[in-house]
Amino acid sequence: MLRTVKPKNARSKRALEAREPKEVEDPRTVIFVKGTHTGERLNTVMKDLMALKRPYSVSFSKKNTIRPFEDHSSLEFWALKNDASIFVVGQNSKKRPDNLTFARIFDNRLLDMCEVGVENIVSMEQLKTPKSTPGHKPLMHFSSELFDSHPRYTQLKTMLMDLFNGQVIDSVCLSGLEHVISVTVAPDTQDLISASSATLPTVHVRTYTFKMLPSGVKTPRVELTPMGPHFDLVLRRNREADEDLMKAALKRSKIAKKDTESGLGKKRKNLEVDEMGDLRGRVHVGSQSLDKLQRKKVKALRGDDSERVRKRVRT
Amino acid sequence: MDVSDILAERAEKQKSIAVEREIPLETDTGLLTVTDLNPIDLESYNEDLEAFLQSNARDGVQALLNALFALPSTPSPDGPVAKLPPPITQLPRAKPLPKPKPLTKWEKFAKEKGISHRKREKAVWDEEKQEWVNRWGWKGKNKELEEQWLAEVPANADTDHDPSKIARKERKTRVAKNERQMAQNVARAQGESATSGPSTREQRKNEINRTLATSRVSTASMGRFDKVLEGEKKSKGLKRKFEPAEAPVEQEKAANLALIQRMEKEPRQKKAKKDTVDGVLNVRKAIRATSGGRGSVALGKSLKGGRTKGKSRR
Repeated sequence: MLRTVKPKNARSKRALEAREPKEVEDPRTVIFVKGTHTGERLNTVMKDLMALKRPYSVSFSKKNTIRPFEDHSSLEFWALKNDASIFVVGQNSKKRPDNLTFARIFDNRLLDMCEVGVENIVSMEQLKTPKSTPGHKPLMHFSSELFDSHPRYTQLKTMLMDLFNGQVIDSVCLSGLEHVISVTVAPDTQDLISASSATLPTVHVRTYTFKMLPSGVKTPRVELTPMGPHFDLVLRRNREADEDLMKAALKRSKIAKKDTESGLGKKRKNLEVDEMGDLRGRVHVGSQSLDKLQRKKVKALRGDDSERVRKRVRT
Repeated sequence: MDVSDILAERAEKQKSIAVEREIPLETDTGLLTVTDLNPIDLESYNEDLEAFLQSNARDGVQALLNALFALPSTPSPDGPVAKLPPPITQLPRAKPLPKPKPLTKWEKFAKEKGISHRKREKAVWDEEKQEWVNRWGWKGKNKELEEQWLAEVPANADTDHDPSKIARKERKTRVAKNERQMAQNVARAQGESATSGPSTREQRKNEINRTLATSRVSTASMGRFDKVLEGEKKSKGLKRKFEPAEAPVEQEKAANLALIQRMEKEPRQKKAKKDTVDGVLNVRKAIRATSGGRGSVALGKSLKGGRTKGKSRR
């Protein structure tokens, strides 16, 4: 653990304050770490992933002796030093060729990890097509029933969402959307849910840029062009999140929930500001029942009375 | 007028952007994500992988864009800006939720009294200079008295009377006071957060007070003739409490009955003595006599030692 630093001037104080926990978090910074051996293929994949994540990515391009599944202390140290919360570790070995490890950090502690092998790589450079602008938010597309049912694939899904799209934003410029990251799982032939030891089907990751064409209605029609990188992932080892840690990580502030429900600053029901700048509200008074209305009691209007009389006559 | 043609044309246009699936696609517009939970068509997957993936992705993107364009939006020079709802998928945070900042002494007081915060501008208008100057800091207004080129000196002032020096000293004490209060606030906040009970400082204070109270009454006169130091507080003794002179009959009756009951009961000390006297031997006295007043433990030891030595084996 590092010693707690007391800021000596205003600038370092501001820098430290920027790192403090916030209610609405900043986008996650991702560190791409090269292990002891990374081949050319892994390098291109990491380079392309970094290009997608720019400007919130940091590259550790020197060789690092790191085995996240054996000792993750250096990941936690780097996270603390760089204020980063996701790691992508590349390592090529005979046993696990072209290995990528995604690791998520919560509160400077390791939350969970997911290891994948990368195959069938087509880099961004190989495809001579238009590329997306750095800094634009991607759309994400997941396609498979496994993303809802299988824990390994749910973990991969949230991991990729965190990697590319984790930041909570309140508005987006629709014309600024220009690329999509599509993640599809190969059809599972062995009925994974019942057979636990079956090999996990591969995951196809594709990236496309899209054009919005006029369709005659408000929503445009979409056409995709492959952008790259394209690769397939084979699931290998993983590390589940500690239950308590995950619970703490999923905690949401109560104020935010109240805010959204009461619509403070967001959607305020039945309230509007008119042209004069006055706040006007509408109140629904419910349907009015004429039976319960207090009226002048006239003998002729007493329907019940006549009936009572008739009853008395019958008996 | 026949509008069926127009309607048909419109339906045709709608068709080009519609996405039809067995299970409707789940869109999470807050995170710009769409999830397609339909099982993958094995035939088209095996036929042409890339084409299948692209068409599948296109449908997903189209569905997501349909949802995004349906959101309330505001126009901007770069195109419509859609207002996103809060995300559905719960992603783990990178850092824990921020803890509420502990209140300072003043903030706490203001909250209790309902005093609302009033922002103090950093700049104030200087009538003489006819411009805005800082309230404090560089060329601050609070240094006005020190920097006067001419200052009034009272007639009976000392020879070394320096008005600017006095003003500076006053300002410096104000600053020091503020810094001390800030430090106290920090210390208080740390104490509150570290332990739920009283802070160590508070504990130490209580301990000292207790020791002082004991030492005061530890003289032969129980502190009656001790010199009282200047600024010494009168020690708080036990407060005697008296019953009211007039009390309800039931209460008086109950109190008297309790008293009689207590009188009937034999005191505990006597009981203990009786125990020993009851038997033939008074053990306490016997031990005292045999051990020569050294107690039962010493007696036991000496007896044991005598036996091991084997002085007298009968």
